[in-house]
Amino acid sequence: MKTIDKDISIVIEICGSAGEGTISAGEILSRFMSAQGFEIMSFDAYPAEIRGFGKCVAHTRVSANPIYSPGKLADVLIALNDNHAISQLSALKKGGILIYDSQPPKPHEEDQSVVARADAVTISYGVPLTMLAQKAAGNARGRNMVALGALTALFHLDRDAFTNSIKDRYGKKKQIVIDSNVNSFLEGFDWTKENIDKADTISFQGVTPPQSKAEQKGEKLIINGNQLVAKAALDADLKFYAGYPITPATKIMEILSKELPKHGGTLLQTEDEISAIGAVIGAGYGGIRAMTGTSGPGFALMTEFTGLSVMAEMPAVIIDSQRGGPSTGIPTKTEQSDFNAAMFGGTGDCPRVVLAPTDTTSCYDATVLALYLAEKYQTLVVILLDFFLSNSIRNIDTPKKPAPKMLNANIAPDAADLAGYQRYKITDSGISPRTIPGTPGGMYFATGLEHDANGRPNYTDKGHLAMTAKRFRKHASVLAEAPAPMISGTQEMVDIGVISWGSSAGAAHEAVVTAAGEGISAAAFSSMMLSPFPEKQVTAFAGRCKKILIPELNYTGQFADFVTKIIKRPVERLNFITGRPMAAEDIVEKMREMI
Amino acid sequence: MNTVPTDAIKSGSVQSGPDHSALSDPGTEPGTEPETAVGKTAETATGNAAETEQAGYLDEKIAQVRAMDFLQYRSPDLPTWCPGCGYFGIMDAFYKACRELDLAHENICAVSGIGCSGRTPIFINSYGFHTLHGRSIPVATGLKLAREDLTVFAMAGDGDALGIGGGHLPHVARKNIDITFILFDNSIYGLTKGQSSSTTPYETKTNSHPVGNPDTPLNPIKLALAYGSSFVARGYAGDPEGMKALIKAGTLHRGFSFIQILTPCVTFDKTNRTWKALKENVCSLNLHAPAPDNMESAMRAAENEPYGTGIFYQDKERPSYQDILRQKKNAK
Repeated sequence: MKTIDKDISIVIEICGSAGEGTISAGEILSRFMSAQGFEIMSFDAYPAEIRGFGKCVAHTRVSANPIYSPGKLADVLIALNDNHAISQLSALKKGGILIYDSQPPKPHEEDQSVVARADAVTISYGVPLTMLAQKAAGNARGRNMVALGALTALFHLDRDAFTNSIKDRYGKKKQIVIDSNVNSFLEGFDWTKENIDKADTISFQGVTPPQSKAEQKGEKLIINGNQLVAKAALDADLKFYAGYPITPATKIMEILSKELPKHGGTLLQTEDEISAIGAVIGAGYGGIRAMTGTSGPGFALMTEFTGLSVMAEMPAVIIDSQRGGPSTGIPTKTEQSDFNAAMFGGTGDCPRVVLAPTDTTSCYDATVLALYLAEKYQTLVVILLDFFLSNSIRNIDTPKKPAPKMLNANIAPDAADLAGYQRYKITDSGISPRTIPGTPGGMYFATGLEHDANGRPNYTDKGHLAMTAKRFRKHASVLAEAPAPMISGTQEMVDIGVISWGSSAGAAHEAVVTAAGEGISAAAFSSMMLSPFPEKQVTAFAGRCKKILIPELNYTGQFADFVTKIIKRPVERLNFITGRPMAAEDIVEKMREMI
Repeated sequence: MNTVPTDAIKSGSVQSGPDHSALSDPGTEPGTEPETAVGKTAETATGNAAETEQAGYLDEKIAQVRAMDFLQYRSPDLPTWCPGCGYFGIMDAFYKACRELDLAHENICAVSGIGCSGRTPIFINSYGFHTLHGRSIPVATGLKLAREDLTVFAMAGDGDALGIGGGHLPHVARKNIDITFILFDNSIYGLTKGQSSSTTPYETKTNSHPVGNPDTPLNPIKLALAYGSSFVARGYAGDPEGMKALIKAGTLHRGFSFIQILTPCVTFDKTNRTWKALKENVCSLNLHAPAPDNMESAMRAAENEPYGTGIFYQDKERPSYQDILRQKKNAK
């Protein structure tokens, strides 16, 4: 066990069956730790089924310092259900801590209890979770709270503050629900204080995070990517959202269904994803900001409309929160396997903008940027989230609201443009001034057919070339105002350069820091902007790396293929399709191999 | 954008009375336009009395058409449809309906799909969006929800609306989105040269079914009624006045208006829905008296009167989608 000091950083996993309060316990723990001033990153792994016997894991990393990745192995495993927890033991560190139910309702068969399966170096604490919950509330539902009580006692956390966090969580429920939960927590706390001899070294006693966040309280948001996308969209003047329910993007629609009407906008639940993107393009044509969200299967359906957005030059924003694929795939597991679909999906020469946030905070920036770029460049913008970014929870500083120039981006024709108005005028920037319906003198005909500057169908070779080139010129203009890539590590020549994207980027940047601690010279590069891609910057970065490593959550290395073509040299790949987020530990291990 | 010189004559057919002088040819005084038109043509027609008489007739007709002032809704582009196509009649009725409703050009949005009907917005002097095959309804829905101030039309053929895009129709109808949907129903895929569509009758020989269509056709009126459309009507491409009345009524209706137009495909359908067959069979609906608010009689008419034209059903009380959203918002 590491010594506990102000650099405390631990991972706690609560494992139970769906419906046992596993996720709620994780949520309360995260909120409590955040309120105490720690950085948190948490996510839940759960089955697609609503309730039943599926395994649930609430994973929380708590740190006094900034967190970039969720951490691969747990320091602490709380087993609410022995059957499921046994399979979670492999994610517990050597010498980690196990908290289990010492008096389960039905005694386990020999070797079927989690404590019997844990290895010899595991520090195991048996707490009668069920018995204490029964004692506190007359039923076993509060076992999760008993476990949190035990955790609080063991690690010298603030009992009263924790009690308040529980009260906050159940504040809107009946008093009996609040009492049952609080009493179960206190039973667990008291029993543990009384009966457990502490054998580990984890203690939060006297630990104060480096920059005390007490004064920032209230400014901190405890939020996941989906919630932040919805918040950003509202801040960026979204007025229309159309969607069709699909995991893991549904939550965005549900939040906006509440919030959009309050902001003068409209939410439309459509009959399918084709209709959703069609309505978004229709609303964009009408001159308001519009967006839809989906996952792989829905994105596949939307593909026919993505071409129309580009061809007819109509703004459209699609969020694709990736899950395991192809086809229906694995709805509740994270993956980065829609890269090719987002970048290249569809027919024809079809330039589009693709953004991939690299962490929770950048979900906000990406959404604001996407709505701006779609409107200004009259084109398709895809935001690639994934199950992990959509659902993992961080406590972050409240993002700064978008600048006014980000909110009103349409380039309208001036009086000179309107005389003999050409909707698809050939320009250097690729942007043709756009009227919106209702503007006298600005009437035009839009079509998915190739067309001339007036929008009239035109199939000549010269015309097609000129229009295709014009549409592609938008890429250069977009790149000129793209956010700079994030580069970490040393600025010198390095042995290993890690190039990453999306939710894997945090782990890559963290890995470079860890590797540096081991004497490996390394640097990391990631870009939120995938299309157009900052080719010059990535080529320059690759130029000072002896070896290149590209870690990502898909089988073949879709991004690695893409980068290889740009930097024109082979790269090392690190691919996982485990359904778990990228782990810094795995990247570091690969780097050690490469040295 | 007005390509056809308009004059300032307020014909009796103009319903509403705003001043159209802004749209008029500034050089033309009210009432003088026929004179100049006649004068020009008369100069060229010299000598032959019969020619003069014919020229006089044409001039008179041209003058009449101009006086009706509806061609301003036509764009300068010449339609690409085959000579004799029923769509010319539909568009004539459409222009006239726009004129009589006195719609401002810039507030009209015509959204179409793919097929012969897909080209329609090109020929309208307004905003227009030629979208994807089967997808005029989703785009028109988004547009209307974004911009309630616009008058939104969606146009589609039978293959477009009932085949590839058939999944959208139930939902626009049950949501009662306030758009006017015009189904150009020629019961054939024309632009791809004569394949069976969702409304091609059973056993009709087509290029995709040379020994006879094995599929039972859909009944668009029954579908529209079953889906919950609040306005359902049928017109005939050979009856511009009738279609005009339906398009006007559909446009004024607050909610989803479904208008099927029976029209021939003169090039790829020589046996089924020909001008001759339509002319012989089309008649006015007579099952409704006094008002078409009876679903049962509408369904019966949909079943029994395949060539009956008129309004099958209209629910004037039902709120549109946006009305409902407003009610819900205000109720909070």
